[in-house]
Amino acid sequence: MSSATKLRLRPKKNLWPYLLITPALAVILLILGFPVFRLITLSFQQFGLAEIVSGIPTWVGFENFQALLKDPEFWIVLRRTFIFTFAMVAASIVIGAWLAHLMLRMNTILRWLLNTTLILVWAIPALVGISIWKWMFSFEFSIITSTINRLGFDFAQRNWFTNTFSGFSIIGGVVVWGAIPFITISIYAALTQVPKELLEAAAIDGANSRQIFRSVILPILLPIYVILISLSIIWDFQVFTQIWVLLDNRPASEYYTMAIYAFEKSFGLSEYGMGAAIALLMIFSLLGVTWFYIKKMVQIGDNNA
Amino acid sequence: MHKRSSIFANISGFFAIIFMGFPVYWMVTTSFKNRQDVLSTEPTIFPRSFTIENYQNAFSREGFYSSLRNSLIVVLITVAISLFLATFASVAIARTKFTGKRSFISTLLIVQMLPLSALIIPLFLLLTRLQLTNTIGGLALTYVAFILPFTIWTLRGFLANIPTDIEEAALVDGCTRVQAYRHVLLPLMAPGLVATAIFAFIQAWNEFLLAYIIMQSQENLTLPVWLASFTTRTGTDWGPLMAASTVTAIPVVIFFSLIQKRIATGVTAGAVKG
Repeated sequence: MSSATKLRLRPKKNLWPYLLITPALAVILLILGFPVFRLITLSFQQFGLAEIVSGIPTWVGFENFQALLKDPEFWIVLRRTFIFTFAMVAASIVIGAWLAHLMLRMNTILRWLLNTTLILVWAIPALVGISIWKWMFSFEFSIITSTINRLGFDFAQRNWFTNTFSGFSIIGGVVVWGAIPFITISIYAALTQVPKELLEAAAIDGANSRQIFRSVILPILLPIYVILISLSIIWDFQVFTQIWVLLDNRPASEYYTMAIYAFEKSFGLSEYGMGAAIALLMIFSLLGVTWFYIKKMVQIGDNNA
Repeated sequence: MHKRSSIFANISGFFAIIFMGFPVYWMVTTSFKNRQDVLSTEPTIFPRSFTIENYQNAFSREGFYSSLRNSLIVVLITVAISLFLATFASVAIARTKFTGKRSFISTLLIVQMLPLSALIIPLFLLLTRLQLTNTIGGLALTYVAFILPFTIWTLRGFLANIPTDIEEAALVDGCTRVQAYRHVLLPLMAPGLVATAIFAFIQAWNEFLLAYIIMQSQENLTLPVWLASFTTRTGTDWGPLMAASTVTAIPVVIFFSLIQKRIATGVTAGAVKG
């Protein structure tokens, strides 16, 4: 269609788009926008039980942030959150991508079985997954402990969560186990969408398999890796329910990540202002890490149409 | 892209199936074991007993029917409203240009990465002020807000793959813009709408944290929160918990198998074809 007809079809003063987005925008602004604004104001206030009752907050400027940045626990929690997030993202992307590439070389029956298993796991609700893992690693009746014992080790009855390394491994295990299906199936779908003609043309032109991978397959896969890694960072950074439920709704302070730390400060200690400050710093760190992804996505959405 | 199968890939695939599938297998088999076998310090991989008493126990447990009903109501309201609103908004960003579009898209994307646990504090204060805590409406409204950005973005992905020529042809033929959207674009969007609806259903059905904070009284729980209530200070009822978990997972598994192909391509399609 020529650009002249296109111009004629689009009215000059176009109210349309605004009418279309207004209802959605209104809900988002009320339920998400206002709380974000309130979170920011809250982080500059001292807001505890007394302030909830009186309804009058005490403004304290940057005191909450200053106190946090001076508190060694904050830095420990921040570091722990980054390490834990990195480990989970790396594990799920590496395993997920590896399985996707292996699926190309499996025989049809195994590939179908693996695909079905992955979809089944993908469909399992988070809380059901957590309950299963909690049961597999329970204190007394753990199938994992008894299997290890049967192999000749002596683990006796074992509380897996007294040691934070094994505890975090189990929490990370639940997260990675739940994340692998999405990653594997997405990468596999992308791999099977690489046009055959392109591969054949490259082969005819004398490209070896490494060159084909670099100049044909990689450019198609790269944007998908960017999306998957960014989404994994966003999801894994804010892991809350897994830690909360696996540790019976009262995680010890060695298990605090930013999300749990903010929650405990607010709902546990009733220091809502402090909790809000932590939450805000958490949002900023996440935005910093995923800035590139957001920019890229905005471009995609903007260019289209 | 498929190559000749290799022994290494097949062996790895076999172990991947075992490791990924085992937790699900363990849930289902545990749910059919009798009490003595569940509470055994020497559990066996293959079940030795078969009983449905865990299911009977779970169904007769306080709160099962009310939480099932609550989950269904909340989820249906959420899906209906968010899909309705998202359809309009996605057409706007996929089909028109307007000032502020970039900011709108940025808002959608940034909102999706706001950590729930961070927003809960002010959100709870807001809902308290609106007297919406502990109500189905309050929970559904919150779910709509959290699910909308994703729904809009996913629908946009589907729309991006529908060529604009068809509706423009309709415009040339004298359709108004509304008619072109309703009679030409909407039917073409149908598969995308179904997939997105199911995805919204699954997210709302699975949500735990918001329901945990917003719905406090026993008769207002949703299924995931009810599941979490199996662990008390005296311990956990493992057998009934596994039975209840299986029941909670079944609708999602069914829906999921219907749409998984669409979602796998839908999420990433925007990046390739954008």
